[in-house]
Amino acid sequence: MEEYIVSLDNLKKIADELLNNHCRVIGTTSENKFKELNYAEELVLNPGAVPTSSSFKEFFFPKTEPLFFYKQNHSNVDLFNPIQDKSKIVIIGAKPCDAASLPIISKVFNWDYKDDLFNSRYDNSLIIGMSCHYSDEFCFCNDLGSSPENMKGSDVFLKPLADNYFKVVSVTPKGAEFINEYQKYFEKDLGKNKSLERKEENPKHFDYDKVKTWLDNNFENKFWDTAGEMCLGCAQCAFVCPTCHCFDIVDEQNGSCAGRRAKNWDACQFSLFTKHASGHNPRDNQEKRYRQRISHKFKYYMDKFDEVLCTGCGRCSRGCPVSLDILQIVEEINSLSGNSNSIQ
Amino acid sequence: MDNIYKPELVEIKDIIDETPDIKTFRLQFKNPELQSSFAFKAGQFAEYSVFGEGECTFCIASSPTRPEYLECSFKLAGKTTSAMTKLNIGDTMGLRGPYGNSFPIEQMKGKNVVFIAGGIGLAPVRCIIWNVLDLRDQFKDITIIYGARTVSDLVYKNELEDWKSMSGIKTVVTVDPGGETPDWKGEVGFVPTIVEKVSPSGNDTVAIICGPPIMIKYTFPVLEKLGFKEDNIITTLENRMKCGLGKCGRCNIGSVYVCKDGPVFSYKDLKTLPQEY
Repeated sequence: MEEYIVSLDNLKKIADELLNNHCRVIGTTSENKFKELNYAEELVLNPGAVPTSSSFKEFFFPKTEPLFFYKQNHSNVDLFNPIQDKSKIVIIGAKPCDAASLPIISKVFNWDYKDDLFNSRYDNSLIIGMSCHYSDEFCFCNDLGSSPENMKGSDVFLKPLADNYFKVVSVTPKGAEFINEYQKYFEKDLGKNKSLERKEENPKHFDYDKVKTWLDNNFENKFWDTAGEMCLGCAQCAFVCPTCHCFDIVDEQNGSCAGRRAKNWDACQFSLFTKHASGHNPRDNQEKRYRQRISHKFKYYMDKFDEVLCTGCGRCSRGCPVSLDILQIVEEINSLSGNSNSIQ
Repeated sequence: MDNIYKPELVEIKDIIDETPDIKTFRLQFKNPELQSSFAFKAGQFAEYSVFGEGECTFCIASSPTRPEYLECSFKLAGKTTSAMTKLNIGDTMGLRGPYGNSFPIEQMKGKNVVFIAGGIGLAPVRCIIWNVLDLRDQFKDITIIYGARTVSDLVYKNELEDWKSMSGIKTVVTVDPGGETPDWKGEVGFVPTIVEKVSPSGNDTVAIICGPPIMIKYTFPVLEKLGFKEDNIITTLENRMKCGLGKCGRCNIGSVYVCKDGPVFSYKDLKTLPQEY
């Protein structure tokens, strides 16, 4: 198969064509945020930038979306499906820690009942990933079997070259089709453009298997009494996370006889999340709720869906108002797992 | 679009005031074809909704052997149940389901069955009681032990009388100490104590138990003492749920989703789960 390169200018031309073809084009901007682009010039690709403060999950799993609308007139009720936006979604410049999140959360939305709200967007999307040249004390994709060059979740993958060029890798048949469709913007790779080397390899922090083994055996452990002690329960970690997918279902009445039922983001760190109507709450303190967060990510999701519910992007830690660092927590678990005299 | 979150419409055909704060709704699908095609198993639950108020989760309290209607019993507790108490016969509600697993009725066939329930915990048990009674000759001895806080908190009062009068069924009804009235002729005592007093043999017997967590907790050891095997003690859990579809993320106990892997669990299953329910 022929190898291609593409210039940033040509990527913008592709974005422009996509926008003209009524696609929703999501890219990173000068503010280093994922944004639905209004025009192609807004696109800024910076492989050396810190991961955006929020992931792009809201374009597949919106903060709020209608499940259906109702109209009620005494005992006559009519229900209407929401109008689906059938536009193709193209993400440009997803880091590996973002792109990988979609196949991960797709599993919970499809393990038995199929969530067509999520699927209609994901199935009709194209993800252009990009290798990452950033690393800080919060990053740990390497520890979860990924890497700054991992292509999981990408259809097309870009590797930065000198002079605002990118090497183009076709990852999926969908990606190959895309490259074919926009062939005129791609140039044959003659090997002239030097690839931008990453400054240094990301360090390894923990052994996931050790962490999993510890979690398998330590639901009850003193560690949990203090691990989440300082958590405020604000759930910003869940909202910026590319893999957190918990939601609430809420009726929103509009006037006396019409309204909608909506699916809204929710989070396991909220005290009401599991509270029964009777008042009983199985996770009645923040320590239990923090244990749930860590266990769901590093154990339960693996048990159920054979995936870690975390891509190591570090967003939750970077944005935490009390500097609760998930990497530190997992490193502590790793060291407890290695220590046969671990506190019981 | 196949919309898994959009309910079907049901009409309230009858309302029974069970206690001052518990009602039973008899429901029928507005679409007659759905009424005849709707199939469920004893122990499964559904999401019931009042449009503009919300959805809530209850077991289906009627038996699958009586498919002409569906019943649910609910206690006034939150926003949606409070809206439900204001509904009248003829009003429309939403219903999604059935969801979850079911009581192991095949495992119970040919055995004795002991039903133990407390408070509104009789609702899911009532579903399987009628299911078993409608197939009476496939089961051996049947015992029903039911308790509530006070006499006025007992639900399905007419059915308790029916069961008492049926031959081949031992029905024992109790109220918590202090909950009895002067003319109360049943037992007085907490459910675990009464189970110990009735002392059903655990030999070749399946126990179905549902009620407040504290009742279940103290009844398990009594059943073990009576010789019940761990996998013959069956209960049903009621974690908070929203979607009922294994997606919204709140009903899990460890790696298990109560809405999908439950709500019915054996005592043996429960022993493998973290104590977080």
